[in-house]
Amino acid sequence: MSTRLATVLRGSRRPPENDSAWLLDPERRGVPGRESMARFAEREEVDMVIVGCGAGGATLAQRLARRGWRIVVLEAGPFWDPDEDWVSDEAGSRHLFWNDPRVIGGSDPVELGKNNSGRGVGGSMVHYAGYVPRFHPSDFEVRSRDGVAADWPISYADLKPHYERVERELPAAGEHWPWGDPHGYPHSPHPVAGGALRAMEGARKIGIEFKVGPVAIANGSFGHRPHCIYRGLCLQGCKVNAKGSPLITHVPDALAHGVEIRDRAQATRIEVDEAGRCTGVTYVVDGVEHHQRAAVVTVAGYSIETPRLLLHSAGPRFPHGLANGNDLVGRGVMVQGAPQVAGRFPEEMRMYKAPPPEICSEQFYETDPARGFVRGFALQTVGPLPIAWAEHVLADGHWGQALREYMRDYNHWYTLGALAELLPRPQNRVTLADESDANGVPVARMDYSQCDNDRANIAAAKQTLHDVLEAAGAQDVLTIDRYAHLVGGCAMSASPEDGVVDSDHRAWEVPNLFVCDGSVMPTQGSANPALTIMALASRLAERLGEGRVRVPGRGTSTSWRKTSNPR
Amino acid sequence: MSEGVGHLPHHGGAEPHEGPPPGLPRQRRGTTPQGYGRYPDFDVLDQVDHWDEVTRRVVLSRLEKIPPIRFFDEREAATLGAFCDTVLAQHSEPRIPVLAMVDAKLHAHQLDGYRYADMPPDGQTWRQVARCLDEEARALRADDFASASQGIRDNVVGRFAEGELAWEGFPVEKAWAVAMRMTLSAFYSHPWAWNEIGFGGPAYPRGFARLGPGQREHWEEPPEFATDPVKDVAERGVEGE
Ligand SMILES: Cc1cc2nc3c(=O)[nH]c(=O)nc-3n(C[C@H](O)[C@H](O)[C@H](O)COP(=O)(O)OP(=O)(O)OC[C@H]3O[C@@H](n4cnc5c(N)ncnc54)[C@H](O)[C@@H]3O)c2cc1C
Ligand code: SF4
Repeated sequence: MSTRLATVLRGSRRPPENDSAWLLDPERRGVPGRESMARFAEREEVDMVIVGCGAGGATLAQRLARRGWRIVVLEAGPFWDPDEDWVSDEAGSRHLFWNDPRVIGGSDPVELGKNNSGRGVGGSMVHYAGYVPRFHPSDFEVRSRDGVAADWPISYADLKPHYERVERELPAAGEHWPWGDPHGYPHSPHPVAGGALRAMEGARKIGIEFKVGPVAIANGSFGHRPHCIYRGLCLQGCKVNAKGSPLITHVPDALAHGVEIRDRAQATRIEVDEAGRCTGVTYVVDGVEHHQRAAVVTVAGYSIETPRLLLHSAGPRFPHGLANGNDLVGRGVMVQGAPQVAGRFPEEMRMYKAPPPEICSEQFYETDPARGFVRGFALQTVGPLPIAWAEHVLADGHWGQALREYMRDYNHWYTLGALAELLPRPQNRVTLADESDANGVPVARMDYSQCDNDRANIAAAKQTLHDVLEAAGAQDVLTIDRYAHLVGGCAMSASPEDGVVDSDHRAWEVPNLFVCDGSVMPTQGSANPALTIMALASRLAERLGEGRVRVPGRGTSTSWRKTSNPR
Repeated sequence: MSEGVGHLPHHGGAEPHEGPPPGLPRQRRGTTPQGYGRYPDFDVLDQVDHWDEVTRRVVLSRLEKIPPIRFFDEREAATLGAFCDTVLAQHSEPRIPVLAMVDAKLHAHQLDGYRYADMPPDGQTWRQVARCLDEEARALRADDFASASQGIRDNVVGRFAEGELAWEGFPVEKAWAVAMRMTLSAFYSHPWAWNEIGFGGPAYPRGFARLGPGQREHWEEPPEFATDPVKDVAERGVEGE
């Protein structure tokens, strides 16, 4: 559709084949339909078991259910009711995160917990900030262009229709996007707060352009989802239902089309027969072990738990772990360098107001030979609440009375962050640690070390943040080095030697095992990953649903029994 | 005066030291740690009727009776209590009971989702920090960290923060990170600390409407920089530096 027409129709078009926003209850935030949800017997062989109900898993389930697949989703965390389970408070939201033990190592260890992954229906998008940029076309061909990292076995063109579709489902709000493949958004940009206005003005003075958005927050009417109230607690779970996460964008429609979601059900093992095919998944609820049979198993547990589950599913047929014959499972796990720089302004900025994701610049996203390193970074906003602000002040080297003084000055500060693309490295890896969790499954260990290109990229990003704040008139700055996002570890590849899954997310070694989450990404760009993870799931669902991916022993999937829509 | 930045540490303002920072107004409404803050007429607890019930329960529980120390033994609690007071400059009452909050969390086995490969579990890290702080204080001829002078405590903590201490088989920088992560999240989860910094607090279901530079909601208060330090210090009956 032409940009102009899309602009005229902004917000008034309902997404195709997804009624989630209209299935929600206008009076309550909890997802309706749980009581009447489909129930499958464990001994019955369902068409697919999906491990994890996050960005990848929930989207795949919703799509395939629409095509009549009988699906059980196992989710380790709870089925959230935002009214009862979430609070409008920073410390009170720790239960949203994956807090089970994990071990971190390497020369640049990545702190996990609240900074990385969630646990519960909706996955990590329950507490993600809400930025939903697309990847650039160049992201899919980094090896060809820059001679490092890897090419994807698919291209931007393969994902583009799915980007468009998911942007309408979330829905994404923002200004027309000039970078990468230029495109518009279905909803108009949100108003931005004082600090973002200052940052945009400052940036413009030094030739840096910011745009408002793109965020997964409806701006205007969208089904039964209320408008954002600019309360700034997006990272604590949106109690309003204004911010899109799979819990409200895909789960309601999935339930209405016969998906069963078993919450508090942690998968501990994928079972395999002598022929080397998956037969189902063993999982634990309240300490009791269960088993669900399935024709196809899809793992969508996030870049740490997915490799962990595959490695732990070793057996006589696959002694080194499922799909790990080439010793590649868990390798190439990536985070983005995410330094933040805060600036002090004479006026009160009160950065706790408005959603933390406000504006973004992708002007430095692509390789610039003049910079002396490959790939680049994006600039965004972050809006730390008091505890996050205290961590920021501490990282700049302050404690005692000095820390208290910077804390008292909170309302005068505004914070920008960068996302620097770090390259995939085989030694950066998820493995199994020596200690085990309460179910007796070894916990994940994640090792991370940067390379010189990574360090140069992060340094350039940090300098640019300083420049913007200085041009904006900041009187003082405070800096923190950190990481954000976490993808890779089960890369998709064009040949079995180079990755864990093929371009259809199917494990090279196990014909009825799929991986559908952030772990399939061979590179990460400097875009936030959630939209791309959902678009990948949407594409996989289309290919499975249309029988373009053959699942051996089952004929083509089109011959599978189609159930009629239960509602 | 809010236009100036002389009060900020990068510009010569507050450094770790004893006593209240010069020129900071005494709190007139609600409670702040140590009774001073930048927003003397702001009490976030005036807004509780505008918070949703679940949030209200969670936040107000932090003001209720502090649980007794259960994870740490008496000696550890004395040392670590002094540590928390020093790193947060909580040199007088009213204090936010930070160590009790940390102890409650460790007692309940609440984890933060990761452990450095070369570090013990968080609880053991805290215990080891207690032992090491006492040793450092003794090396400076104090009986232990808790009874040491403020000067010695600041000295030890300063070197701890800079990673300058060498503790056998125990990475000091990571120990600092683990201890400070919990200390800061306890302190800045407390509504008294929100009063001190003028944070608007939970805003559901009401939300925020005034987002622009220098704007505030009708119930938010301006910061106060223009206090005459001489008058203020005299009023509070404390000595100047
Ligand atoms: C603070 C923060 C801010 C972020 N901000 C943004 C942002 O602004 N934009 C953006 O694009 N991205 C953001 N992200 C990242 C984004 O949320 C994730 O990249 C994305 O959700 C990952 O999708 P996924 O499908 O790989 O896994 P998830 O969405 O994490 O889903 C995995 C699910 O699987 C479950 N699971 C795992 N193991 C098992 C098991 N063994 N059995 C059963 N269930 C299991 C988990 O409980 C979880 O619910 C942010 C993340 C964080 C932490
Ligand atoms: S700022 Fe808006 S989107 Fe974010 S949590 Fe609040 S209401 Fe939800």
